[in-house]
Amino acid sequence: MKKRIITFGFVLFAVLLTGALVYGLCRRVVTVDDYSTIDRPAKIYPDYSSTVIPPNIAPLNFMVQEKGSYYCARIYSERGEPIEVFSRSPKILIPIDPWYELLDKNKGEELHFDIFVRTDSQGWIRFGTITNSIANEDIDGYLVYRRMHPIHTLTKGRVGIYQRDLSNFDELVVFDNRDYMTSCVNCHTFCQNRPDKVLLGVRSDIQGAKTLLINRKVVSKIGTKLGYTAWHPSGKLAVYSINNLPMFFHTARNEVRDTFDLNSALAYFVVDSQTIKTAPELSRESQLETWPVWSADGRHLYFCRTPMIWPVEGKFPPKGYDKVKYDLVRISYDLERDKWGELEKVLSAKDTGLSIAMPRLSPDGRWLTFCMCDYGYFPPWQQSSDLYVVDLKTAQETGRYEYNRLDVNSDQSEAWHSWSSNSRWIVFSSKREHGVFTRCYFSYVDETGRVYKPLVLPQKDPAFYGRCLETFNTPEFVIGPVMATGERLLRIFRGSDEVIVDMPITMATPKAGTMPSYGEPWVERE
Amino acid sequence: MARIKPLQKLRKLSLNIDKRTFFILFYLYFWLVIDLRLIYHGGGMPLNFPVFYRGWAFFGGTVLYPGGLVEYVSAFLAQFFCIRLVGPLIVTIQAWLIWLCCSSILKASSERRLKWVCFVPPIVLLGSYTRYSYPFGVAMAFLVALGFVRLYMFLTSKKRPTDILVFLCLLMILYVIGGGGYLLFAGVCGIYELLFKRRLILGLVFLLASPVVVHIEGVVFFDFGVIHAFDNFMSRSYEDDKDVLVVVYLLYSLLPATLVGLWIGELLLKGKGSGRLGQFLLSCGGKAGGKLSPLLGIVAGVVVAYFCHSAGIKAQIAVNYYSCNRMWHEVLETSARYPHSKLMNHAVNRALYHTGRLTKDMFVYGQSSGALMLSGETESPSAWWRLFDTYIDLGHMNLAESMLVLSIDAYGERPLFLKRLALINMVKGDTGAARVYLGALSRTLFDSDWARSYLEKIESDPNLSTDEQVQHLRSIMPEIDRDFESLSDSIFLDLLDKNKGNRIAFEYLAAYYLLTNRLDKFAGIMGRLNDFNYIRIPRVYEEAILLYRFTGKKVELGGRAISWESQERFRNFCNVYLRQYGGNKREAFDKLASDYGDSYLFYALYRRSGLKK
Repeated sequence: MKKRIITFGFVLFAVLLTGALVYGLCRRVVTVDDYSTIDRPAKIYPDYSSTVIPPNIAPLNFMVQEKGSYYCARIYSERGEPIEVFSRSPKILIPIDPWYELLDKNKGEELHFDIFVRTDSQGWIRFGTITNSIANEDIDGYLVYRRMHPIHTLTKGRVGIYQRDLSNFDELVVFDNRDYMTSCVNCHTFCQNRPDKVLLGVRSDIQGAKTLLINRKVVSKIGTKLGYTAWHPSGKLAVYSINNLPMFFHTARNEVRDTFDLNSALAYFVVDSQTIKTAPELSRESQLETWPVWSADGRHLYFCRTPMIWPVEGKFPPKGYDKVKYDLVRISYDLERDKWGELEKVLSAKDTGLSIAMPRLSPDGRWLTFCMCDYGYFPPWQQSSDLYVVDLKTAQETGRYEYNRLDVNSDQSEAWHSWSSNSRWIVFSSKREHGVFTRCYFSYVDETGRVYKPLVLPQKDPAFYGRCLETFNTPEFVIGPVMATGERLLRIFRGSDEVIVDMPITMATPKAGTMPSYGEPWVERE
Repeated sequence: MARIKPLQKLRKLSLNIDKRTFFILFYLYFWLVIDLRLIYHGGGMPLNFPVFYRGWAFFGGTVLYPGGLVEYVSAFLAQFFCIRLVGPLIVTIQAWLIWLCCSSILKASSERRLKWVCFVPPIVLLGSYTRYSYPFGVAMAFLVALGFVRLYMFLTSKKRPTDILVFLCLLMILYVIGGGGYLLFAGVCGIYELLFKRRLILGLVFLLASPVVVHIEGVVFFDFGVIHAFDNFMSRSYEDDKDVLVVVYLLYSLLPATLVGLWIGELLLKGKGSGRLGQFLLSCGGKAGGKLSPLLGIVAGVVVAYFCHSAGIKAQIAVNYYSCNRMWHEVLETSARYPHSKLMNHAVNRALYHTGRLTKDMFVYGQSSGALMLSGETESPSAWWRLFDTYIDLGHMNLAESMLVLSIDAYGERPLFLKRLALINMVKGDTGAARVYLGALSRTLFDSDWARSYLEKIESDPNLSTDEQVQHLRSIMPEIDRDFESLSDSIFLDLLDKNKGNRIAFEYLAAYYLLTNRLDKFAGIMGRLNDFNYIRIPRVYEEAILLYRFTGKKVELGGRAISWESQERFRNFCNVYLRQYGGNKREAFDKLASDYGDSYLFYALYRRSGLKK
């Protein structure tokens, strides 16, 4: 019996090997000989045309959206060997090593795609050349984002923070809610794009709301959740918001979900002393403060603020929620003396006519980007949300903050933007293609502040986004892989050691105490 | 001798028939009683039914984790539960294979086979399915582990020093493909070596080294840590379905316990073969026990099915299945037995509307004020599963979308949800999102044609101008945007503002007012009757109008009149209640229930309905 099994195995192996050899030898080598030409470029998906691409990005695999029986893409630039890809399916999968070589040799040059499609009736057709530019500046090596299904109120499904190596298609889990039962991960913040200084908010039915702090190689757990967080460039403290963000739904608007900030304030966590503090201008009872972000030199804290016009306990949603518009303000800060200065208005909602949210500053201190939308504090759920930029150098010279709407915007929501460490790239989440499903887009920013046509985060399978039912949100550039991931974080989170912090405020009303217990299912924002 | 052989053959034949009888009955039970289509459908339970997609992406994403291959195969086979005859066949074959492996393992271990023990796993699974759990994946991992145990026994039938290598290889392969099943494999092989083959060191090594080997394998090949390496045995889904957890414990402990029991039995038998205990054990493990085992299995199966069966659970899922598939007659027939269930009441109203009977027979069935739109149940996954179709019928795309998104979060990317979300986004004009839902749906096994046809339609006509369903839903979708926090009449009024011919909105609004006893509001909408092609005022409305008029108020009927029959009925009702029983509700109850228990009049008085015999 045993001998029969072994014999059968050998025979099967031999048959398979022979078949593979025959197939390989008999497979015809395809060439593009004669072809007719069409002026217009081929339709490709994703739309990788007329963009500026990072020289260290993963191959921009795409699908040719033209009918045919065989496809060929010829990718070339000034120097180096062109890459030719033949495919029976419309998917063009570019080999990685030749791609790297081509991009590396042609920084600052143009990159061309010639697309050929073979049809039964016309033979080969060559379409107009698609041209992109290769930037001189690299993009940061990693992108960390959250992946989850679109959420309406409860979170029982999978939510995870992932890090993607932008030079290839590797995606690894940083933290996943499957590990600790019915909970959520969010609010991942990196100090100056560094992977060794990270704050990560985690919530669990069992453990409560905590924050994991990765400080160089040490991971610890802070006994409270920090909201929208911003590291001081020195890494010595982080300002965060405390919010009360109930969700509700619209019966006829395209975006179903909505939220408002019932009550909010800012506080800051000092890493060395492991204490939480606040300041009067950061937590006024009459104001709602949120979306903190530091200037590149750490001397100013920018944040969004609006008068609180409703009682904390009242009708839900409160009357006038859709009239609320946030201003953008900033306050000076002396790190050495832990002293806060005077508040000054940067941009007024009254002047812009829109609500300002999510300010971010480029690491070189030159640019201030932010979202503006019709009302409220949460642009991802406002179709009207667009990205804007202020040139801070000009602002310093003129004393005025002149803002411009970026050309990269669409008629859908753009939000969750962040800057690369070299201030040459921005990444943002957009619903431009897939309605409810947010995807990550990169745009190159040159020295003059011009922002170029965005390109979507490339995937190994170019058809990926056409079937992916998850959203990619809160993308952040990181210069290297996150120092601690997965089980190491899980062990700390599950462990009993934690930094106990006395809260100078609970919710947004300044009084001391501990955070309220979380017995309810999580209400999540994406 | 010549006479013995035919007798033996006959006994063998009868044994085979009995064993076959068990599995035939098993199949019939699943086909005719359980109906695995209901488990496939879900209807709010179970929570852990798997999603399956065609293509390498899903395959790669699933098998690259310990237990992934078994999970992939289980998910694939489970999709066939939607075919009435095939699902039971798959489950029966699985149960039979489990029986076979158990039997083979026990035979290889000992002369006393305890054949009746082999029927326990199929019976445990039967019990679990009877409660509408989904233990198929767990059972598959169990089966694979049993197969590996048998393979180990086969390959090491002659004692060789290399047996440990065989064990380690099989353990490592099983961990990769079967995940938590390695525990059973290690346990059974260890006990087998310890107790039956008397290789004590080997047995101990198997038992103690297995977790270490698995840990190393998890760390080296899967980049797991300690926790993750063992995590896959306890799926999160067990948190949501305790029945499956019970199945896991029973299945995984059965064979080790049986082997230990067999060994103890052998010990007791040595030198005690003539005693009562020895005789009893002999008969259990001997040929008599073997003969009786199929019969015992059938009896046990019947008992377990009886005690595990819950008509209520089945009815709940079945009604939702019928409702989703627009089988209205079946909805009404099944729901009638559960007049006090809100979920059933909700389905009844929908079925009554679609059969044109809501305005006539609403109170023939049980009703409650919260049942119409399941108010107060907004955090219940079961409610979400019922509400999305109702909202779609009404025209409330956003609210339907919300219920469906919540359902995906709770139950996974089921084709049922994806189809509806694709439709909703097409109606809303968000073809980008619709394409994504259709793209995902096109990779499922049984809904791909529908998805592809719509993808082609969108390509050629993004506005879907010729699609009747889309155009109809667009015509009734509300334009007034409100923030929706809780149910109020505005969700119906907004629909009527958009399209005054939205019949379901009108009838549901009327029903809402009647169920919440807001006759003033009800009377206020009677002027809308002429927007619809009612030949006469519906009976239920007439009763409500008469009651309202009885309080001295007027109702505008747009030139219509109340029928003589309803007037006569109202008069009689008042006579009984007021004159005969002097307005005593309690005393009048039986009489009124028997004659008027299907009327609005009775409901208005007692807040109950569906009582007329």
